[in-house]
Amino acid sequence: MKKYFYVIENALLNLSKNKGRNFLQGAMIFAVITTTVIALSIHNTSVTLISEYKAHFGSEVSISPERMPSNLPGITAEQALAFSQSEYLRDFEVSEPDDSSEAVDAVFYLKSPELLEAFAAEVRGKGLPDGYKVDIDRDAYARMVTPLEGLQDISFTFLLIVLALGAAIMVLLSVIAVRERKYEIGVLRAMGMKKRKLAMGLGVEIIAITCVCYLFGMIAGWLLSQPISDALLTGQQSAELMNAVAAQPLTSVKISVSPLTALEIFGVAILLASIAGIISVRQVTKYEPIKILMERN
Amino acid sequence: MKCLELADVYYRYEGSADYVLKGITASFESGKVYTIIGESGAGKSTLLSLISGLDVCTEGDVYYEGKSLRKLDRDDYRAKSVGVIFQGYNLLTNFTAVYNITLSMSISESEITDRQAKKEAAYALLDNMGVDRETADRKILYLSGGEQQRVGIARALSHNPDVIIADEPTGNLDAETEGAVLNIFTRLAHEDGKCVIIVTHSENVTAIADEVIGIRAGKLLSGTEYRASLPCHVSYPSQENLETKIKENEQ
Repeated sequence: MKKYFYVIENALLNLSKNKGRNFLQGAMIFAVITTTVIALSIHNTSVTLISEYKAHFGSEVSISPERMPSNLPGITAEQALAFSQSEYLRDFEVSEPDDSSEAVDAVFYLKSPELLEAFAAEVRGKGLPDGYKVDIDRDAYARMVTPLEGLQDISFTFLLIVLALGAAIMVLLSVIAVRERKYEIGVLRAMGMKKRKLAMGLGVEIIAITCVCYLFGMIAGWLLSQPISDALLTGQQSAELMNAVAAQPLTSVKISVSPLTALEIFGVAILLASIAGIISVRQVTKYEPIKILMERN
Repeated sequence: MKCLELADVYYRYEGSADYVLKGITASFESGKVYTIIGESGAGKSTLLSLISGLDVCTEGDVYYEGKSLRKLDRDDYRAKSVGVIFQGYNLLTNFTAVYNITLSMSISESEITDRQAKKEAAYALLDNMGVDRETADRKILYLSGGEQQRVGIARALSHNPDVIIADEPTGNLDAETEGAVLNIFTRLAHEDGKCVIIVTHSENVTAIADEVIGIRAGKLLSGTEYRASLPCHVSYPSQENLETKIKENEQ
């Protein structure tokens, strides 16, 4: 292992020697990581929220007349209590009847949104008359989930574009960087440095640049993801929806960079570094020192 | 003792039908200085690139200590067994002179492992070549051609190789440094038992040779044959002159 130390030392020394090229490569990695942080944190937060909202609004069931206005009397407290005796429910709420009628407002909380049809069949079996519907609050559901689904789609598409563009630019930069360093590679190979050590040196350089960019990219991404998410979310509110729903729709989501997101971004960073590394190694193995030196001299 | 052997070596560049080297057979012994002389384009540098393991011959074989270079790890061979002094220096221009030497030591897995000791050894080697510490700490980029050439020589000697190969090693040196470098080559061969092979156009360099080899149109000639083949207006030192110069040098 000790015989590889000089390779690492040489690689780190190279970082300070070729500032312009390394800065360009670093700037590219930084941009990709920052945009990935933004896209991934928005995407992951949306996914979590959608799943929470689906569980919440998708399991909140009420029984109401199918058509409004309606002459139907509504369900009674006895009926509500009978319906609440169901294995599909985790909880229920029944309001006190008002003075004018025996009808009550009842909300039933399903153990899971998928149990809606089974619960509806059960209450029909227990005597719920025709003309009533057993359903979730679809307006509230749409109000909360639709903008998030839009946000999720945008962030995912954005992430794919960033990764594809980032990978393409990294490939290009690596090819240019190795070409620019052809002479240095030729000299080192002529001195007897093995291809694998040379490749390792290039790998160490790109990983060192990536790690620094990862740190700064995480900070920049974390700072930018909240305002960008808010701006995107505002764009997701359709005028129709705003008018149709009385309650305030979702206009802000608290974006967080979870450890999992940080890990995913690190994976992306390493992926980019690997792409750059593989391209560099392929280039290096292609070059014969004698040809490089002959070209130069 | 035979150190290097060329057995019926042919070489042609990729995509070219013409051979640059045509059936060269020669052997080089340890403890001797060889100079290779010839006109430009005769194949001298190509021959050096084959001997130094930078390239492989198209036909025939080059043997180092009886082993074919085709079968040896040529990276190891270049790193440990040969020291090459290039005509164009081929140094890492962004690094200091001393770093160029220590890096070469590291690549060759030199016995000196301590970083400071390695650096001191590099300074000493450069000092032998007339490069002081201040110059040694400067980037190659800021050194003159002559200084770079000295660093190139120091680098070639840094890993104590058995074979030293030099392409016009004194082309950019002043007379005093040239004399000092030639003395080092002579000492390396005669005292340390190294095999020194030098491609040169310089009479002074040819003068220190134990054997002169001529090369013309890809074919090898002895020094005498080569001299005889030269047009009358071109002259290389006669054998008597050579012997006198060698004696002078050794004195």
